[in-house]
Amino acid sequence: MSQGSDPASKSNTPSDNLTRADQSHANSKTPPVPAPVSKPGTSAKDLSKKEAEPPAFEKGIIDRLVKEFGSKVRVLYIRPLRMKIAVDPADIVEIATHIRNALGFDHAESVAGTDYPKDNQIEVIYHLGSYGVPELEGHIMSLATRTSRDEARLPSLINVFRSVEYHERETFEMLGVFFEGHPRNDRFLLPEDWADIPPLRKEFRIKGR
Amino acid sequence: MNRRLAERPESKIDDTVNRGMQVLKEYTADDDRLMTLSVGPQHPGSGHFRFTIKLDGDYIVYCDPDPGYVHRGEEKMCEYRNFIQNIPHLERPVIHDSANITYSYSLAVEELAGIEVPRRGQFIRALTSELDRQVYTLYWLAIYGIFLGHSTMFMWPTGDRELFIDLLDALTGARVTHAFNIPGGVRNDIPEGFKEKALRHIAYYEKRLKEYENIFYNNPLLRQRTEGVGVLTREDAVKLGVTGSVLRASGVSFDVRKAEPYDIYNEIDFKAQYMRSGDCFARAYVPFLDMKESCHIMRQLLDKMPASGEVRAKLQPNPKGPPGEAYRRVESGRGALGYYIVSDGTPRPYRVKISVGSFRNMLALPHLLVGAKLADMPSIYWALNYWPVEADR
Amino acid sequence: MTIVTLVVLPLIFIILFYVPLPLADGEVLTPYLFLSMVVDPTRTLPIIQFFMQTELFKVAVFPGFTYAALIAAVTIFVERKFLAKMQLRVGPLYAGKIEGIFQLLADGLKLVSKEIIVPSGADKLIFWAAPIAFVSTAAAVTALIPAAPGWVVADLDVGLIAVFAVFGFFPLIALLFSWASNSKYPFIGGLRALHQLIAFEIPFILSALSVVILAGTLNLTGIAEAQNQYWYILFLPISAFVFYISSLAEVERVPFDLPEAESEIVAGWLTETSGMIYGLIQLGSYIKLYALSAIFVILFLGGWAGPQILPQELGPPGEKTPLVQMLTLEGIYNPVQFNAIFWFTLKTFGVIMLMLLPRGINPRIRIDILLHTGWYKLIVLSFINIFIALALVYGGVFGPEGVLNSG
Repeated sequence: MSQGSDPASKSNTPSDNLTRADQSHANSKTPPVPAPVSKPGTSAKDLSKKEAEPPAFEKGIIDRLVKEFGSKVRVLYIRPLRMKIAVDPADIVEIATHIRNALGFDHAESVAGTDYPKDNQIEVIYHLGSYGVPELEGHIMSLATRTSRDEARLPSLINVFRSVEYHERETFEMLGVFFEGHPRNDRFLLPEDWADIPPLRKEFRIKGR
Repeated sequence: MNRRLAERPESKIDDTVNRGMQVLKEYTADDDRLMTLSVGPQHPGSGHFRFTIKLDGDYIVYCDPDPGYVHRGEEKMCEYRNFIQNIPHLERPVIHDSANITYSYSLAVEELAGIEVPRRGQFIRALTSELDRQVYTLYWLAIYGIFLGHSTMFMWPTGDRELFIDLLDALTGARVTHAFNIPGGVRNDIPEGFKEKALRHIAYYEKRLKEYENIFYNNPLLRQRTEGVGVLTREDAVKLGVTGSVLRASGVSFDVRKAEPYDIYNEIDFKAQYMRSGDCFARAYVPFLDMKESCHIMRQLLDKMPASGEVRAKLQPNPKGPPGEAYRRVESGRGALGYYIVSDGTPRPYRVKISVGSFRNMLALPHLLVGAKLADMPSIYWALNYWPVEADR
Repeated sequence: MTIVTLVVLPLIFIILFYVPLPLADGEVLTPYLFLSMVVDPTRTLPIIQFFMQTELFKVAVFPGFTYAALIAAVTIFVERKFLAKMQLRVGPLYAGKIEGIFQLLADGLKLVSKEIIVPSGADKLIFWAAPIAFVSTAAAVTALIPAAPGWVVADLDVGLIAVFAVFGFFPLIALLFSWASNSKYPFIGGLRALHQLIAFEIPFILSALSVVILAGTLNLTGIAEAQNQYWYILFLPISAFVFYISSLAEVERVPFDLPEAESEIVAGWLTETSGMIYGLIQLGSYIKLYALSAIFVILFLGGWAGPQILPQELGPPGEKTPLVQMLTLEGIYNPVQFNAIFWFTLKTFGVIMLMLLPRGINPRIRIDILLHTGWYKLIVLSFINIFIALALVYGGVFGPEGVLNSG
């Protein structure tokens, strides 16, 4: 996820996980990722400023999380306004509840599922935002978890963040991930007579391409 | 009449979700007293969207949205085309707000590929975004008028929308889906005489906005129909994660252009408009305030634009970046429109997830409709700023 | 050819043999005489004069069905143009060379040529009978309206009550038709129509009652003639207002068009109508609009009272050639009556335009606000004006010994 100028770092790109067979992400806590994007305007010029330190405010938030949960939380990147952490499916409800209650991220903006057939995993990532806490106004905390492709089950975060209801339902029908605890793992956007594999899986090819 | 329903039930979402069916506890889902109505895609009051409601007399006791009638698989299609080829089909979810939905995509791709956008291009991009915001909001307002039976409020915004479509036509060459944004800037420079024409149109439009206020927002019949109807409290709005004008009508002053200024929005002086009441009137009025504010923004953009310069970065035919991911968002007519793009180093994106405001606001629909009267149904539904095509992607 | 000679011709002869032909100007009006009118202009006027005195003319032409239908048709076109100008557009433009003047004709032809789809499971008898009943009832109301002194189809002593009696039939038709449509949206629309029409009957009657108190008679012609000097709207503005609102509700116009609220219940109780049935109901609706405007004019705006602006005689005085006679309508032209007709039509049109106006200004009202308005606010307002009327009568201003007695 880095912007290209530090290949020697233990950066956690998807292709790096080829060598790993288990479900966890790479174990790097503080990736020395340069901070390429600054708040006013996206400019690649800032890429050249190789800051070794991630931005302080975001780092403070991540540090509090890491202090609370230790090794259950794996930090993938910390950029201005964007933070990504990876957790195991078993801990996700607990960590999400803590993020909501203690850190102040009160809603989930979106839930995305990505299919990684090379790792035989599906990653589900929750983008959490905050409306209540003014300091966290533009920040997005991305909470990612992975599950195996063949037996895709994850605990649902609907009791923590009510706003994931339809997003998880869509992820179920598009990728085949069953969310335990979600009241309706059902057809949502696809037609009622859909009889094929979940469309966002990589083996589903659009006709003619 | 059922007295228990006459009082709007306490709008509390408790954490134990009742099986996804928002049925009030006094009924079972197949009670004989209930009449099931399918407000379906072939209904003048629903757009390309279907929701099933069950009625007890005049009160709605159950609502189940059923989107998907215009699902075209945008996210899957993105994986088959490279970054620039994705722009024309990504515009299609909202054809008249196409500048915003491609703006967010361009921002995310620029972050992934490390492209820098020249300053003049940023200004033109912001200008197109504001023009499209006006075009979309006027259309939304027109349909809101006709849903309430106000045919004049259907004709006037649709007519005044032509002011901005004219400007877009002069600027981009197309009226609605113009594919003007690309990762790296905009396609072309603005033509001669555009600034004077735009200022003239904006001046005329601001006069028209006063008339809208007289005929629509100050109309006592409209106020009777929308004030106090479908109240979404601040806590519920935050819990349900709604966005855009729905959120701002409930008292949360959140605008992506203020919270996370992208491009040159931190140089523009404007305020996020919000109201506290959270009823249908507020949800109808906040976009109107947004439109007024957008006129100020457009004037500032036209003033502060650098007089000359490149409008887009030099691109290779198949731009690509190192493997990574990016999440960028933009304030569109419906709310925060976010793109989560994962790239694996090839010219094609690995995964594109579009987080649209309509999909998020759909969650408020069952919450608000249950307990409401049938006559309030179009008012509540459309006030949620729901664009069915965008929600389906 | 065989059918014509064997069946039709004998039938004609039998009819001609047995039906007594009327007398026209001293001669029996045979078909030969009638056709000869075409050739000899001197015979046209007496025949028209004769025809004008028959009952059939009053029912069919003026002030009966044809007059009402003509005004209704013109209203439909004018409404579309009027609303279009208010809404920054042009309205129908292409049917006909000047500003789309033949739009109505085009619409009528279109509706006639469409297939009438009767939903399965619908009650066929009522489904076919209700639109016809609707138009007939609307036409029946126009039978009671006097358009000029002496020109009324049915001159009843209780004319006003007859009008309300006929109007009370409309909710029943709406309900029957919506029930017979066998579908959910018409059902909801029919119930709403029922609630709305019944809720506004009472303010309707009460506001007319105040006029009756001032005029002293229920006969519509009498009421119109009692306003020779002063129109009642000067004394009863609140009643006029209540009557106006109630008529908007009775005719189901915006802001009271809930029974056909398009965005909520598709088309309300008209959902299953198609083709000529829809055409008939629209026609009935606009005839009802004309009828209510005419009654408003008679009750509050003085009927046909107005200054005599038409001349005593069209054309030059003295002996005239037959052609000039025909053109100047000698024998038919009665300056007082034509003047009355002119003012009546002008005022009715004015009131119709006033009823078309809210469509461009207001959204639709909601059912509970509507019922609240109809049952509470309007009844109270109409009572206020009844008291004012009573005070005027007992105060000696109106009535048999009143100061402003017009007789």
